[in-house]
Amino acid sequence: MSKVYFSTWNGEFINNINKPQDQWEESAYNLPAQYDDHRESKAFIGWDGVAIFNADVDVIRLATEYAAQYQVYSEACGRCAPGRWGGRILYDMLDKIARGEGELSDMDHLKEISQSMQITSKCEIGKTVPNPILDIMTHFEDEFLTCINEKKASKHYDATINYIAKITAPCTDACPAHVDIPGYIEGVRDLRFDDSLMATRQTMPLAHTCGRVCPHPCESACRRTNLDEPISIMELKRLGADYETDHGFGFFHPLEKKPSIGKKVAVIGAGPAGLTTAYYLALEGIDVDVYEELPVLGGEVAVGVPEYRMPIDKYNKDIDCVKDLGVNFIVNSKVTADMMRQFENDYDAVMVATGTRISKKVYCDNERAEIKGYWGAIDFLDKVNLFEKYGYTISKEEQEENLLTTDYVDLTGKTVVCVGGGFTSMDVVRCSIRANAKKVYMIYRRDEKTIIGNTTYEEYHEAVEEGVEFLFHSAVAEMRDEDNILKSLLIDKFELVPDPNGGRAQLLKVEGASYEIEADYLVPAVSQSADLKLLPSEWEIEMTSWATIKTNGKDYMTSRKGIFASGDCEYGPMTIVNAVGQAKRAASVMARYVQTGEVSLSDDEIMEDHLRKLRVYDKKEKIKGWLPGLPREVSVKLDVDDRKTNNKEVNLGFTQEEALSEADRCMRCYYIAMTAV
Amino acid sequence: MSNLINFTIDGKAVTAKKGETILTVARREGIYIPTMCYISKTTPCASCRMCVVEAEGVEGFVLSCNTPPTNGIAITTNTQALENERTNIMKLYDVNHPLECGVCDKSGECDLQNKTLEFNVSKQNFSARDQHRKIENWGLISYDPALCILCEKCVHVCNEVIGDDAIDLQFGGYKSKVIPKNSDTLDCTYCGECIAVCPVGALISTNFKYSANAWELTRVPATCAHCSGGCSLEYETRHTGISSKDNSIYRVKNNFEFSSLCGAGRFGFGFDNKTTKNPDAFARAFDAIVNAKAIRFSSMITNEEALLLQRLKESLGIKLYNEDARKYALFMEAYASISGKKHHSATLEAVKQADAVIVIGSMIATDNPAVRYAMTTAAKHNGAKIIYAHPIEDALMQNTITQFLKYEVGTEEGVLALIAKYLLADCELGSDEKAFFDALDDGYLSAESNIGEEELSLMMKSLMRTKNRVLVVGNDLIAHKEAKNIAKLVAVIEKYSDISVLVVPRDVNTLGVSLTCKLDCDDNSLENVVGYNEKGSFVIASLAGADLATPALNQQEGTFVSIDNRVIPTNAALAFDGYELHDLAKELGVGKQNTIDFTKELPQESGFKALEFDVLENFLAPLGEDVRGYMLDQVEVAMDGSLDELDALPEFNGTIIYNVNPVLQFNAYTNIASQLERDTTLRGSAQFGAAARISDGDQVEISFGDKTFVRTFKQEESLKGTVALNPTFDLEGNMESYRFQKSKIVRVNHE
Repeated sequence: MSKVYFSTWNGEFINNINKPQDQWEESAYNLPAQYDDHRESKAFIGWDGVAIFNADVDVIRLATEYAAQYQVYSEACGRCAPGRWGGRILYDMLDKIARGEGELSDMDHLKEISQSMQITSKCEIGKTVPNPILDIMTHFEDEFLTCINEKKASKHYDATINYIAKITAPCTDACPAHVDIPGYIEGVRDLRFDDSLMATRQTMPLAHTCGRVCPHPCESACRRTNLDEPISIMELKRLGADYETDHGFGFFHPLEKKPSIGKKVAVIGAGPAGLTTAYYLALEGIDVDVYEELPVLGGEVAVGVPEYRMPIDKYNKDIDCVKDLGVNFIVNSKVTADMMRQFENDYDAVMVATGTRISKKVYCDNERAEIKGYWGAIDFLDKVNLFEKYGYTISKEEQEENLLTTDYVDLTGKTVVCVGGGFTSMDVVRCSIRANAKKVYMIYRRDEKTIIGNTTYEEYHEAVEEGVEFLFHSAVAEMRDEDNILKSLLIDKFELVPDPNGGRAQLLKVEGASYEIEADYLVPAVSQSADLKLLPSEWEIEMTSWATIKTNGKDYMTSRKGIFASGDCEYGPMTIVNAVGQAKRAASVMARYVQTGEVSLSDDEIMEDHLRKLRVYDKKEKIKGWLPGLPREVSVKLDVDDRKTNNKEVNLGFTQEEALSEADRCMRCYYIAMTAV
Repeated sequence: MSNLINFTIDGKAVTAKKGETILTVARREGIYIPTMCYISKTTPCASCRMCVVEAEGVEGFVLSCNTPPTNGIAITTNTQALENERTNIMKLYDVNHPLECGVCDKSGECDLQNKTLEFNVSKQNFSARDQHRKIENWGLISYDPALCILCEKCVHVCNEVIGDDAIDLQFGGYKSKVIPKNSDTLDCTYCGECIAVCPVGALISTNFKYSANAWELTRVPATCAHCSGGCSLEYETRHTGISSKDNSIYRVKNNFEFSSLCGAGRFGFGFDNKTTKNPDAFARAFDAIVNAKAIRFSSMITNEEALLLQRLKESLGIKLYNEDARKYALFMEAYASISGKKHHSATLEAVKQADAVIVIGSMIATDNPAVRYAMTTAAKHNGAKIIYAHPIEDALMQNTITQFLKYEVGTEEGVLALIAKYLLADCELGSDEKAFFDALDDGYLSAESNIGEEELSLMMKSLMRTKNRVLVVGNDLIAHKEAKNIAKLVAVIEKYSDISVLVVPRDVNTLGVSLTCKLDCDDNSLENVVGYNEKGSFVIASLAGADLATPALNQQEGTFVSIDNRVIPTNAALAFDGYELHDLAKELGVGKQNTIDFTKELPQESGFKALEFDVLENFLAPLGEDVRGYMLDQVEVAMDGSLDELDALPEFNGTIIYNVNPVLQFNAYTNIASQLERDTTLRGSAQFGAAARISDGDQVEISFGDKTFVRTFKQEESLKGTVALNPTFDLEGNMESYRFQKSKIVRVNHE
């Protein structure tokens, strides 16, 4: 992985001291030996150990600077006695030795204070800061003793070396938007809900939304799992947002909006990626125009995610938060290639965040768009949500196309078959239940476990409760129609055949097991693709092999200078939090780009990417200092009979008592990592 | 599943209820775990790390203050390893802590001092480079960051209990400090709770600074004499000088672990009356009473003196005037005619435990800070929905309130009828009540009161999951023209729902007086009226300018009835050398040996108990239970009342003022307390200024009823709407009428 001179990272012990470089052993970890494209790292030091990349590193100063960085970072300290004073003492004593004024007894005091910090600090950062320092003191004791005995400064005490530090946490690292999760949970625990919300909004403007409909990858990287169960991270986000909304405060922005710097950016699409781009650009004092094709703002979260999962009044609060910064929204405005050509002149940069709004085919026989009853998931959900949330009715013409007799989606007496397995398909089937369908099927090629993995346990469980019938290991083989009106579907059955060589199990069709089901509607919700006709062909923008816009996944600029892309149209259909994470990073890059013309990453962003590659969460780590067995709180869901005929929000969220008890389970696993460059 | 968790602490079998932590159970069981940052009334600050314990089978130490126990776990609190770490933490706390105990205000009652000695920290192994830190003077409160141990108690209390949310911790490791939140200087209600909870000498009273050592002061347990909250406090007194025998009050302290005080309670203690015996004045007072037709008195009086006045009334055949208490009594009488109970059902504790509170007819933050703090606690800790119905928005309440129902001045009866209708929509009502609500003209009431269906539906939606609900009724309802019917509506809500009711008495002992005296209607027609702490042809008062000087409430012993319906004793912090009302009573033949001999004779038909003053306790138990005095017995009353059909709602047009006091002020006594800010301006919005044709800084003459006075107009950005706020603490005479008044406002200068 990386060649190192010395490493104690995560329990490994690699010691190449006095060995020629070509015989150096490699570390097992993705350590950031190369800082960026033009700089090598000298050393990397963090919660789990220290890695040194060349023999000339001044380890005493490295330890000193690490202690100093711990002092500098505000989130990291000031909250507990051992961390606050201990950190300062660590730094003062290390620096004393590094200056050449140390005494032998200082080594003992350092060890003593380190132990107290490791045992009693409030958060992991205080507990782990001494770890690499003690490693250095143990393995490079000679260098310390030389400085102490000869009363001389460490070898590069006065040299100019860049020490770049970054605070992270396993959950924060796993979150695509890198939300300061321990920070917002601490806000809940301390009943400082404004602080909680501001912690969230540093990197995530859609607090109401991602407190409800996030698949929470963070919870799979929660260290509490090593002890008992993960924290219910996602739902705790709602408390800050509800506090702001309930008390009618203005908006708690993470920082004050800067005065206008006279730069303009166009954002195409007002979904999560577009809103996020606009929010962080506006905070930087950049004027933003957001163009939206639909008559309403919010993208798929507005017209895709149903009301019972994401109440529009709450989403509108998130959108209002963006509006509050003076972002200009232009609705009913589908951007064309000509407009894009014009935008390139009119704006300093353009963000394409148009999502993926074309429903892919299921690839069965007789799959023809002309057949009435064949209804793409995106259009289906548009029709449902535009009516339920905003009151937009369906025109006569479109009613007829979709076999409707009312100006809203009423499926009374109809059988709906949805093919999918992801969130979109779940929305389709559960909306169909609420539209009073006679029977609703979900066809899925794989099994129950996989569908839960693709969505969430709650989603699947609630759909089953509401009466959706899941047909697993199944696929539509053929659409059968009469006069272009769908009548039935031929369904093939599959079975999972394990690979005798231990590889991935194969899905094989079970011959002779196919059967027919009656169907009025077939809704393909397999996946979606991007409509990118707005990109002028002469720009020859580079695309991915799956027909989305290609970027390097770090700065989100397309192959054309000044044109950026984020969200689903860049990544392919993915989560809200993924779109937010991309757009937040892109906005930061764009804010620099419009001022300097350079595309660059900040040190913080470079470190963020390094840590993501290294992975912060270690599922094998044994947790000390916490009492196991405190159960994860589960919020109350609306009873199935109270919810399946209406659009009331299903998840009632935590009561304050539940929230506080859940927040108390958080172990505040902040870590600090530092690279010497 | 049982909600009880069985486990052991140091081998002792103990049981925890849901929500309890290892530390709370240990404290309940009398097992000592040291802490530096823990305070019972807030969420754990979890900053000191002293309370670590060992749990069997768990590697490392577990924090006891914020960890609930699990079934069967064996906790150990006192191993050598724990002792070592706790000692190390104390060593860290002592790093660079200034050695100024000789002059520090906290010395002698300092947690850092105590724990340093407890852990026997006699030398420092560690050191860190010291830093220069500036002492901040924030008015009544000063802050010395060098002394601060950053326990965060002050920050938690300010946010979670008081609701000012005015201070913040500025993170910065070793440089961390407490700062005013979002402001250059401290912008708060100056309750001083931050001073109370500070375990060291970092946050201190600016005026008390360097004036006395803790061990020189004598503590007198008493009850706050500024509002009906009945807050427990201790006056701390000492002689005023080497050659002086006089004592004075140096400061007020409270049992901050469980209870809180507002700024008036904490800083407004200097209202004692100084005089010597004047036999001539006494003789004139005697004659005045003998010849009087009536005695007019305020509710700033003990129950014992109230009973004494009642006895005078009976023996002399004169009238007793106290419009404040009389209106309260009438309100409660109408309430009882439906509820069947003489006393309202809720307490401050019920508000603290509530998950929903509806407040109507009060600017509660200044009318009764104790209720505000209880609501803050409920809002923060329980996530309580707080519905605040009033014509004026109160910026102080913003972080507590979840819904503001802004109604038109005067329409309280209609508003309450609408609220009741929605609250009781699913309840099984009696036929009379059902008929009443069926006959309500919602459209008219909504139009007149400005409270629409949408707001009421939103209210119901937010109350959906709530279980512990309290209705708080303020003085605007009690003093309302339709108070009787309003009181009955309040009782109907209580009767048919699970909502309990708190009717906020205006003054310190409004409630006690209303239960003790048979009051007569004061129409101001009589000439020959003796005033006791009130206006009259002869005035006996503890305030300046009286014809006979009497002791103030911090110079008397006796009891009050608090908002909780609790009979609470108070004691004399300072001696009084003049005459008391009781001395007159003795001369008039209704006296006893001491005023407190009346305590056991307080009317049992009102719920009082026949208990001697000296058996009444005056402290909070170690776990915070209020064991002061006793709770009034509930008194059953005939349920013979019925709701009256609503008349047309009154309309208030023109320039309206609202008689309400600013922060820190309540009455003539807070008015003379030297530390309290006295804002006597008429405060209004720009809109009000425009309507009244006055601008910021103008001297204006205000008149309503029989009153005319001059004030400076202050335009305030935080105020909205067309009603201005008029203080009453500095005005003569009883301001017991409905607090909104259509007033004539004329500019008297042209500067």
